[in-house]
Amino acid sequence: MDADASPTAPTELRTPALPTLDAGAPPARAATPGGLPGPAAAPPGNALPLHIALSALAGLVVTIIWAVTGGGYYWPAWVWLGVAVPVAVHAIIRFGVSAPASARHGLALHGMVTGLIGAILLIVWGFTTDGLHDFWPLWPLLILGVAVAVHALVIYADRLPGTREREAQLQERVGELTRTRQGALDVQAAELRRIERDLHDGAQARLVALSLLLGRTEERLGDRPEEAELVRRARAEASAAIGELRDLARGIAPPVLADRGLAAAVEALGRRAATPVTVDAEALEVRPLPVVETAAYFVVAEALTNVAKHAAGAPAHVRLGEQDGRLLIEIADEGPGGAIAEGSGLIGLRHRVEALDGTLTVTSVKGSGTTIHAEFPCGR
Amino acid sequence: MRAVIVEDLALLREGIVALLREHDVDVVAQAEDAEGLLRIVAGHKPDLAVVDVRLPPSFTDEGLRAAIEARRRQPGLGILILSQYVEPVYTAELLESGEGGVGYLLKERIGEVRSFMDAVQRVAAGGTALDREVVSELVRRRTGNGNGSDALAALTPREREVLELMAEGRTNAAIARHMVVTPGAVEKHVTNIFGKLDLPATNDDHRRVLAVLTFLRAA
Repeated sequence: MDADASPTAPTELRTPALPTLDAGAPPARAATPGGLPGPAAAPPGNALPLHIALSALAGLVVTIIWAVTGGGYYWPAWVWLGVAVPVAVHAIIRFGVSAPASARHGLALHGMVTGLIGAILLIVWGFTTDGLHDFWPLWPLLILGVAVAVHALVIYADRLPGTREREAQLQERVGELTRTRQGALDVQAAELRRIERDLHDGAQARLVALSLLLGRTEERLGDRPEEAELVRRARAEASAAIGELRDLARGIAPPVLADRGLAAAVEALGRRAATPVTVDAEALEVRPLPVVETAAYFVVAEALTNVAKHAAGAPAHVRLGEQDGRLLIEIADEGPGGAIAEGSGLIGLRHRVEALDGTLTVTSVKGSGTTIHAEFPCGR
Repeated sequence: MRAVIVEDLALLREGIVALLREHDVDVVAQAEDAEGLLRIVAGHKPDLAVVDVRLPPSFTDEGLRAAIEARRRQPGLGILILSQYVEPVYTAELLESGEGGVGYLLKERIGEVRSFMDAVQRVAAGGTALDREVVSELVRRRTGNGNGSDALAALTPREREVLELMAEGRTNAAIARHMVVTPGAVEKHVTNIFGKLDLPATNDDHRRVLAVLTFLRAA
């Protein structure tokens, strides 16, 4: 049972064919004369055959004595039993240490021990009765059998037809959800960029044209100040609408990210940050999916905002790289540390990252700065 | 003044052309993509190129790249970039792209006809016209951290307003008109700003904008 019990020669211990012990078969069978006594200094692998041989020899000797003394009641049966039980126990122990501890190995041992006890009971009953009218081993056998059955049920519960089907269904469902979530995020990202493009070429452009026309009109109303004022106000409204659309578009994806990709956008963030920031952004070989790019961008932006807020003036270092199809981002500052990893800003980021099957870890020890590490599958 | 217009949306392009012509700007050619920009600049040798930052085919920043390339081929060419968003990185690239006037304005500023035409004249003459959004975003980012050691935080609101107007490329006289104060008062603010930011004073508008921006970017 204990995996450490057989560290020296596990293969050697596993090789000898072990006696099979069926619950109903008398263990005396194991003591059938099967081999000659081995050499005295037998290696551990030969201990069991030697044990069997010696036990068989003892049985034979008492049987001969019984025959010589005139037969009658076959009392050597008790001797056979007496030598067979230690042989069976020996075999079970050998089997027990032959493999690392596991649920199935444990069950097999349980079965063997139960079989041995059952066999002893049956044999003792067989030797001491002359009929079937009082089968007293029934109850102990039943209890032992039920224990083995329950044990087996616990271990093999997942093999029951219903469970396996259910597991397969769940697995299929997980696969399906993973696929559809990825699809939904891709579609959403593409959709958002399309909306941003449409705003730029559509509504924003028209409002700019409107603003231009209003400006020209205003100019021609130089001699009618009241009308000119109305037109000026109309133009101000158009400008406000343009401003709102611009903020909307910026929230979808900052222009420099859409234009030049993540490395350039992160460098721009570093230049614009309120604290001194060094950026080490290796150019990515393949551009990650827009949805990943945007999330990564906002992780860096939010982290740098936090640095400015909680570690004002502390130098920060941003690292961006790619490894085995995963995008790695690290933002480390030399601030006071001790950040609360579950702060509201970080939770929002974590959700954004986890929605993309990424991970976000925050290491912040008082006195040694804060490091935020995020990792995503690039998604291509 | 001879100008070329590069804008992919016909509606806007025609509007800008009409506006410039109304103000006696000689619009010698129009184009709708980056390649067209390089072609008409080479063909017409204009004083000024008014360029949309986002152009076909990829609709990213090729307007900016093409304008910088055009200036490399024709040093001294004035570039006025029109954009629907403020991107300080692009402003910096534009400012670093060599000799000649530069402007970076949000598109909706076209509607403020007088100041837009001022900007056009300034850039064509080799000056600078940066959108006040560009400047205020840079100032906000530099001071928004509440870091008391930041030199910009030492500016009074009035001085910060002057700094923003300076960075837009306005002269002291124009700032005085805008703020409705005397030119002498502006002069005093400017001296204070240079003092607080530890910048050497100069009469050259463009150079002082560059100095301010360099400080804002590099601090």
